[in-house]
Amino acid sequence: MDGFLDLLSLPAVQRSAIGLLIAAVGLPIVGVFIIGLDIIAVRFAMMHVALLGIAVGLLAGLDPMLCGLAACALAGAGVAPLARRPTGLPGAMGLLMTFAIAAALLVLSVSGVNATGAFELLWGSILATREIDLIVLGALTVVVHVLFWRWRRQLALLLFDRELALCSGVAAGPLLLALLVVVAVAIGASIRLTGALLVDALTVLPALGARNLGRSLRSIVLWAVVLGVVGNTAGFAVALLIDQPPGPVLVLVAGTLTLLTYLIPEGARDAIDPGRRTDRGGDPVAAGQRVWQH
Amino acid sequence: MTAAITFTTVTCRYGRHTAVDAVDLDVAAGEHVALTGANGSGKTTLLRAALGLHPTAAGTVTVGGESARSGVEWARRRRDVAWVPQRLAPGRFPLLVDELLDSGGHPDAARAAARQLDVGGLGRRPLHTLSGGQLQRVFLARALGAVTAGARALFADEPTAALDFDGQEQVATLLAKLPVTVVVVSHDRAMTRACDRVAEMAAGKLRVI
Ligand SMILES: Nc1ncnc2c1ncn2[C@@H]1O[C@H](COP(=O)(O)OP(=O)(O)OP(=O)(O)O)[C@@H](O)[C@H]1O
Ligand SMILES: [Mg+2]
Repeated sequence: MDGFLDLLSLPAVQRSAIGLLIAAVGLPIVGVFIIGLDIIAVRFAMMHVALLGIAVGLLAGLDPMLCGLAACALAGAGVAPLARRPTGLPGAMGLLMTFAIAAALLVLSVSGVNATGAFELLWGSILATREIDLIVLGALTVVVHVLFWRWRRQLALLLFDRELALCSGVAAGPLLLALLVVVAVAIGASIRLTGALLVDALTVLPALGARNLGRSLRSIVLWAVVLGVVGNTAGFAVALLIDQPPGPVLVLVAGTLTLLTYLIPEGARDAIDPGRRTDRGGDPVAAGQRVWQH
Repeated sequence: MTAAITFTTVTCRYGRHTAVDAVDLDVAAGEHVALTGANGSGKTTLLRAALGLHPTAAGTVTVGGESARSGVEWARRRRDVAWVPQRLAPGRFPLLVDELLDSGGHPDAARAAARQLDVGGLGRRPLHTLSGGQLQRVFLARALGAVTAGARALFADEPTAALDFDGQEQVATLLAKLPVTVVVVSHDRAMTRACDRVAEMAAGKLRVI
């Protein structure tokens, strides 16, 4: 226990803890978008797209990380038109991954840059969090929350049925484009900030668990953030306690939490739904009481 | 406000299969037309094409004299024409009944219509937990909300297919009273009787009875 407290008093560990907390508040929403769009392959795709961008950056003498993120943004925007077909996106992500690996290897080979060196630029670690990383994570979290809370009605319709969204006045095309670009850049940046393995614990794992708990997009997002914060705080504490690398420990803890959500019976979801509001419609008894009160 | 709808040689294809074949149809402002015809004769495709949900290989559809080409024009078209789909392609996330009702553009009217259609107490339920008939009633309520919000026409694709007999009568009466142009795909007698005119599709072609 003393060792734990000693570790926590280190500025580097404190920075990691803060970084993780910020990420755990924002990135689970990205995970919800990923599950909603059915693009789990996006993590692998963006890893290699970012690598391609870094390779191009190194070749052209530009900032490699900026080029990596720009490549992610472009790739996200590039696959948006494929979302018109119901099965377009998941396939596109797989294809993108393969294309990006091949292109990255080719560019690295042509430029004579060492592939491992390029990968190291991409591959961060939560234990090496710098102040600038905290700022980037904070900005990402703000962008994701604004995107969700500002357009949550439209997003709920879009992620339910694109045609219903179109018939409800939702600008489905631009919204989807924004969604894909934000997801792509967030994934690219988080690989750099937290390491590729941790990205899953921060995005898809909480979102998968939240889908088992929530009954609407809003409650799924709230649950995802709760699971993200709880899972990552607990995972980080466990990693410090047993003095093991946080990446794998965090994923195991977050994964266990997600698994537990599968044990909750369907019928019990009503009682625990944070999106539940008793003030409008819904329960006929409550509605009757309201009439009676007036 | 209500609008005339004109279909001019509308043709739609799925690959090589011509699902809608040079259909001409004039619906006067405020007129109620029932569209019948065998399964697979192209009724759904025709209506979806008019909403820009399926591309037309040839021909045009105008609503209130306006055709649609650009994204903005299609968005306007979808505001102008309330839509009750035959079936959904639901995504991975649940949608609440209230969220669906609100999406028509007039939450209060849609909720009032939902109460009238006996689905007023389902607001907080996810759509996938409703029965087929309940889902259809909710979609109708949403469309009635859209009409209150300013839609000048209603396309309803077999809106009573999953309803009980009382429900079929109830919806037929409700639609008959609607002060907008209505095109309703239906095989149900109560509904066709309540319309001004019946048009029948067969293998992609249309004939007016
Ligand atoms: N996505 C699709 N791909 C290929 N063919 C399709 C598709 N959708 C419909 N079709 C075909 O187009 C034709 C017209 O279909 P449509 O759904 O318009 O018929 P419908 O008149 O509405 O039939 P129903 O009464 O069964 O609803 C049918 O032959 C159908 O098999
Ligand atoms: Mg049909």
